[in-house]
Amino acid sequence: MTIKTELKDSLIVAKKEFKILSRKKALIFPLFLFPIIMIVFFGYGMGGTVKDAPILIINDDAGRASSSLVQEIGGYTPKYDANPMFSVTYTKDMSQSEAESKIDAGIYKGALIIPQNYSDSIAKNESTTLTLLTDSSDTTTSGAIINALRQLLAKTGLVSLNIPSIYGDLEYLDFITPGVIALTVFMGCISSIGSAIAGEKENGTLVRMLMTPVSKRSVILGKTIYQLILQLARTVVLIFAAYLLVGFNMNGSWLAVALVLIVFTLSGVGIGIIMSSRAEDMESFIQLNMLVTMPSMFVTGVFFPLSSVPGWMRCIAYFLPLTYAIDAMRTIMIKGQGLSAISTDFIILTLFAIVTFTLGVHLFRREA
Amino acid sequence: MEPIIEVKNLVKVFHSRRRKITAVNDVSFDVFKGEIFGMIGPNGAGKSTTFSMLTTLIKPTSGSIKVAGFDVENHDYKIRPLIGIVPQKLSLYPLLTARENLELMGNLYHVPKKVMEEKIDYYLKLVGLEASADRYTGGFSGGMKQRLSVIAAVLHDPQILFWDEPSTGLDPQTRNVIWKLARKFNEEGRTLVFTTHYMEEADNLCDRVAVMDSGKMVALDNPERLKETTGSTNLEEVFVHFTGEEVRD
Ligand SMILES: Nc1ncnc2c1ncn2[C@@H]1O[C@H](COP(=O)(O)OP(=O)(O)OP(=O)(O)O)[C@@H](O)[C@H]1O
Ligand SMILES: [Mg+2]
Repeated sequence: MTIKTELKDSLIVAKKEFKILSRKKALIFPLFLFPIIMIVFFGYGMGGTVKDAPILIINDDAGRASSSLVQEIGGYTPKYDANPMFSVTYTKDMSQSEAESKIDAGIYKGALIIPQNYSDSIAKNESTTLTLLTDSSDTTTSGAIINALRQLLAKTGLVSLNIPSIYGDLEYLDFITPGVIALTVFMGCISSIGSAIAGEKENGTLVRMLMTPVSKRSVILGKTIYQLILQLARTVVLIFAAYLLVGFNMNGSWLAVALVLIVFTLSGVGIGIIMSSRAEDMESFIQLNMLVTMPSMFVTGVFFPLSSVPGWMRCIAYFLPLTYAIDAMRTIMIKGQGLSAISTDFIILTLFAIVTFTLGVHLFRREA
Repeated sequence: MEPIIEVKNLVKVFHSRRRKITAVNDVSFDVFKGEIFGMIGPNGAGKSTTFSMLTTLIKPTSGSIKVAGFDVENHDYKIRPLIGIVPQKLSLYPLLTARENLELMGNLYHVPKKVMEEKIDYYLKLVGLEASADRYTGGFSGGMKQRLSVIAAVLHDPQILFWDEPSTGLDPQTRNVIWKLARKFNEEGRTLVFTTHYMEEADNLCDRVAVMDSGKMVALDNPERLKETTGSTNLEEVFVHFTGEEVRD
């Protein structure tokens, strides 16, 4: 078995998959329409609350007024929640651009800059301005931060907020689009590879294919190639649809998006194969699939930021590749950052891909 | 006679839901080059499991198998191109046409395109499916599907054919076609190993018949001699002689 034959075989398998897909008229339509519907419906229908949002306070003022403000922010709790809304890091002497780069890197959701003369101005009853930078790619959190600070500052009546928007004026729709893309790729991969395998198990074609000289690896590779092409095509359609329908702007590089999605698709395929190897037939696979994909829809930060879900859910999220894919997609598509900004996400996704894919190939048995 | 398949002390144990099932229990036999070799036996006797091991789909628990001189343990990729398989469970893609299903098989067996197209036309005509060549197989009758499965397994010109219950559930006309194909392929020099629940089919086609029961091979000889030694008038009686009247689980 040379690598060339294996590759050729896998292309035969991939071609077959596409031919069959092209005949499933009732499948193609929802395949591309489903994510668009999600964006539109969820985009207009949902929001969320925030806790423990990491923010940075750059206090260049040594006076009393500023220290009491800082304390108030640290202890601030939202109306219906006893937990502090912010987890605050304090510093001083940091430039605005440096703070912005920290937000770019996703370390902080917001940064408040208190100028040197703040306490003096308050003492003299003069008006003054604070600068608040927020991660506006996360519209829910940044909205909550802005509201909370406005409330706190309203008491004195002297302080106004200057809020430069780092990534332009963004709305919730912009926030969810990258997440929905990652989610649909994830769900699409798992359900289509899994149900294809479970279905072929049912109708005997998979076993028949494994009786031919074609290797198990080629069969899996063929199915993976098919998934890669399909999911990338869906993404392109989706980005254009989001642009046309809700005015979504793609700020980052298409290549970076493709790179993330390729690695991510491999994890999806791996998970799909692992799940289908556990399922005897189509129906058990569908139920298993629901069990995995439904929760991941809510804990990984597709519709509301990770910072807004309870701690135990966040713990689950860290074990799902979707979480990192969403973060990477947002960083690229909204913040317009390059690969260096998503290197951690990318490394974790690659590890996920290697582990799940290897396990999937291992569990994919000849015996039906 | 020269053996083309050599089976020694073959055992297959399945572990399913904590139960241990010995599907094939210490079976040894040879299949000779150029013969038609039939396997009969009650449901669950282990015929399909034996087939799966002979065709390299599953690994034996113990024992050895040589097919065309290669042992299945280490040389499954040498064996696969040499054998043609019609599984017990029909396995066609319902959303591909008859021709596309054949082409897929031909491609997976690396049959050169030109040769393949000629063969496909020839065999489609041979089994009377040329008019349905471009229809999806999802809409085919059981007989059409079975005829298609049989020719799909011969496109790569295999030396040995394995047919698992090729005529189950078919009307007499289709069964007749299957029998004709069996004889034709055999005359071309191919060895045919098949299973059946139709005793007259085994009687008519086979050079030798093996009777399996509960994982054991309880008899193996040519149909005439089996009848003689058991004092039976037909193979049905031979079958009952070796496997009893009791219904199997
Ligand atoms: N993958 C498997 N896992 C567990 N048990 C199995 C498996 N395949 C077969 N068996 C069991 O092994 C035994 C032999 O089955 P096999 O399919 O070989 O019988 P068969 O002779 O082909 O029967 P039939 O005439 O009904 O086709 C049966 O008890 C069956 O339940
Ligand atoms: Mg069987």
